[in-house]
Amino acid sequence: MILLVIFIPIIAGMLVSLIPFQKRSHMEIFLESAVVLNSFLVGYLLLHRPDHIITLANFTGNLSIGFKVDGMSIVFAGLISVLWPFATLYAFEYMTKEKHERIFFTFYTMTYGVTLGISLAANLLTMYFFYELLTLVTVPLVMHTLTREAILASRKYLYYSLGGAAFAFIGLIFIIIYGSTTDFVLGGVLDLERIGERTNVLLLIYVIAFMGFGVKAAVCPFNSWLPDAGVAPTPVTALLHAVAVVKSGAFAIIRLTYYSFGTEFLRGTWAQTVVMLVTMFTIVYGCSRAVKETHLKRRLAYSTISNLSYVLFGVTIMTPLGMVGALTHLTFHAVMKISSFFCAGAIMHQTDRHYVHELDGMGYKMPCVFGVFTVSALALMGVPGLAGFVSKWNLAAAAVESGSRIAYGGIGCLLISALLTAIYMLSIVVRAFFPGKDFNMAALEGINDPDWKMLIPLFVFTILILVMGLYSAPAVKFFNDVAAGIY
Amino acid sequence: MYYIALSVLFPILTGVYLLVRKEIKNRKSLLIQTGIFLVITTVLGVLALCLSGGGILTPFNLTDRLPILFKVDEISILFAVMTMVIFLCAGFFSFIYMEHEEKEKRYYGFYLIVFGILLALCFAGNLITFYLFFELLTLSSMPLVLHTGSREAIMAGLKYLFYSLSGAYMALFGVYFIERYGNTLTFSTGGVISSQAAADNTGILLWIAFLMLIGFGVKAGMFPMHAWLPAAHPVAPAPASAVLSAVIVKAGVLGMVRAVYYIFGVSFLRGTWVQTAWMVLTLITVFMGSMLAYREPVLKKRLAYSTVSQVSYILFGFSVMDAGSVTGGLLHVLCHGAIKAGLFLCAGALIYKTGKTRVEEFRGAGKEMPVLMWCYTILSLGLIGIPPTGGFISKWYLAEGALSSGLSGFSWIGPTVLLVSALLTAGYLLPLAINGFLPGADYDYGSLKKKEPPLLMVIPILVLTLLSVVMGLFPEPLIHYLSLIVEKIL
Repeated sequence: MILLVIFIPIIAGMLVSLIPFQKRSHMEIFLESAVVLNSFLVGYLLLHRPDHIITLANFTGNLSIGFKVDGMSIVFAGLISVLWPFATLYAFEYMTKEKHERIFFTFYTMTYGVTLGISLAANLLTMYFFYELLTLVTVPLVMHTLTREAILASRKYLYYSLGGAAFAFIGLIFIIIYGSTTDFVLGGVLDLERIGERTNVLLLIYVIAFMGFGVKAAVCPFNSWLPDAGVAPTPVTALLHAVAVVKSGAFAIIRLTYYSFGTEFLRGTWAQTVVMLVTMFTIVYGCSRAVKETHLKRRLAYSTISNLSYVLFGVTIMTPLGMVGALTHLTFHAVMKISSFFCAGAIMHQTDRHYVHELDGMGYKMPCVFGVFTVSALALMGVPGLAGFVSKWNLAAAAVESGSRIAYGGIGCLLISALLTAIYMLSIVVRAFFPGKDFNMAALEGINDPDWKMLIPLFVFTILILVMGLYSAPAVKFFNDVAAGIY
Repeated sequence: MYYIALSVLFPILTGVYLLVRKEIKNRKSLLIQTGIFLVITTVLGVLALCLSGGGILTPFNLTDRLPILFKVDEISILFAVMTMVIFLCAGFFSFIYMEHEEKEKRYYGFYLIVFGILLALCFAGNLITFYLFFELLTLSSMPLVLHTGSREAIMAGLKYLFYSLSGAYMALFGVYFIERYGNTLTFSTGGVISSQAAADNTGILLWIAFLMLIGFGVKAGMFPMHAWLPAAHPVAPAPASAVLSAVIVKAGVLGMVRAVYYIFGVSFLRGTWVQTAWMVLTLITVFMGSMLAYREPVLKKRLAYSTVSQVSYILFGFSVMDAGSVTGGLLHVLCHGAIKAGLFLCAGALIYKTGKTRVEEFRGAGKEMPVLMWCYTILSLGLIGIPPTGGFISKWYLAEGALSSGLSGFSWIGPTVLLVSALLTAGYLLPLAINGFLPGADYDYGSLKKKEPPLLMVIPILVLTLLSVVMGLFPEPLIHYLSLIVEKIL
């Protein structure tokens, strides 16, 4: 079953380029049904999860490729399987204006399987394997337009990701040597007797591995690939570079911190201080760059950088509550950011406008898109009643509870970032709805909202943002259980 | 009790309805609708005040530990009554004033939404509800600021937005900590910080209190975060300036009152460095605001600077934490509300009639519009603090409270600053009246013609003027009522 959900999308993706479809709509139906079917299978799998590890291959010693469904897997796999069908639907409409659709959809769908592979991996080696694979299948997506800019961006993406994975690999080796197993166990697997005097070495390795996985999560100073990768078509930027790929990085760091090294070992050490300071810096840095940026998608990409570090900040608090905060923001941010990216995509698709200053007065011409964008902007800022408030509340509550002065500073960073978020998001909203009295509305003639394939995902995400904001209790309770190791 | 929810929801929903519905061709029907909505909201608000009787309404839980909670206490009544009176007056005033502005429907829509949110702020029973509506207030009142759509207005609107949000986030920082160290987030007289936590974490809690004061102080235009106020208030249409200056800044005051008297508790803050710092900041603001107003030639900007100064009178009263000064502060909330709304409406009427904006251009206005200018003069006297207007009583209590507080230094510095500022207030408000009534020998009386503004403009101004005088002539019942509040919270 686990293997099935990983391989269906991969095979379906390959088939897209092999089957000679008569019409475009046939391909759409084929793909959408494959993706929806897979999502239902994932749902079934998560509800009726096998309680043992399914081993695919055994290498020497305790190295194996194995899969398991635990709490973290449920969170990440569930998130992805909800978002993917909507993103695919959106992509059908968006890609009508781009070339080489087939190749695009091949890799786009394969990524689904690979990401599920990461989320369902039972040990570090398996996760590492799919992690590398993820880089490889997403490079063609970044390169898609084949402009010089896109090729440069994809090369940069490739080098950054592979380099990061290499650092993470060092961590993997040390876990193999000093851990009792490489399986993921909440609380860590390090064998303290084997470590002996070498605590500081292991802490250093933790920091290195953190930064290694942090490349995908766009931790400063390894963040510059993410805004550049925005040259990819918007469904890619929205789903992969706001959710699947970057959250894989965050997911891997959670696995590394809570399930491999263990918070007992790390809490209160200099390694915690270092990584926490790095995430705090990234939070503020990402937002400030977003304020300066005038290209809409790049602005959102910088916002993603900052928000990913919210998640990582939660991780580095290294308490169960910190993990709850991280998981809340991991899921809630996914919905908020994909919603705002889809709005940006819809604007580009309908009008071919890419820069913020070109958006004057558009709120009256595309009321649905800008309505959704406003909601996502307010949610990202953290207005109570919307998703962002709950996740920030959980992060801040964890930081207060931890009692560390640095974490208090982290709350400050969160709030500075919230202010900057307001600046870079609301300045767009104000432009769109209040263009100024000298503005000539006739210049926007012929612009209107996109059709239903684009609007449905937007509305679904908006409703999700509201539901998460108003009725978050079940989700947060579930995250609490995950952090307590009940699942 | 459900009247609370109704009085909050009704204006918000009708405001949204006005915003999204199609353009109304007939201006009259828009005005009639808006008028009816305003009146119904006020009726519902009064019903909520009379009938809820201390009951608690919890319509919703944001998360399992964060309830949205409404309740009506004495402070709510005070602020809600002021809000309703001023919103009605300014609302009817705008029916004439807004004639020459565009996009009226949008204006009334946001006006109603702001009304509802302000009532919700008055009725908010815990910190998280307060924070929620505090943030919504910023977002919904910004369109009033940038209504005219000029470049200056849009810039001022953004400035307002970002200043206010940074204040809200400072307050939110505190909320996070109070959730941890307090027994509850519900406003309770005497504070909610558990004595154990207060003893163990005095240092951090004091910083939190300071940060929350600065944060809420942004909305109240307190130094060092006052710069948005003189930019944002004057660019709005005059009735909107009136509610911004008279009521919306009071949301910041309300926030500070709630934080100090209902969350931290007086006993925790009295005598700490936070109190000292707060007093210093308010006194600086009082003096600086008056000084800047004195130098400002544009009438509406001058009134905005005056708001900066006058609101800090109120805050000074609260920062002294003495029975007299707090009574004075509460009283000045009402007085300043009525007077400043009245003054802005006067300014609006003058601009509407003459199209001029600078103070020295209104020579002879008193001959042309005697009723309006008399109202202006009486309101000015009130703000300066000359009997028999309400301003005199409130300033009396403020100064007396400071003198009897026994705080070394501040007990005499405070009243001195207040007096100097009163002098400056006379200096910046009265020239308009003097020029208006006594234009000088070289004035061309021949070109003079009666042009009193329409009745719908004059009546709201008259009502506010009357209120400010009545508060001065018959302050006894009001002061008795306030002393009951003060007894409770001190």
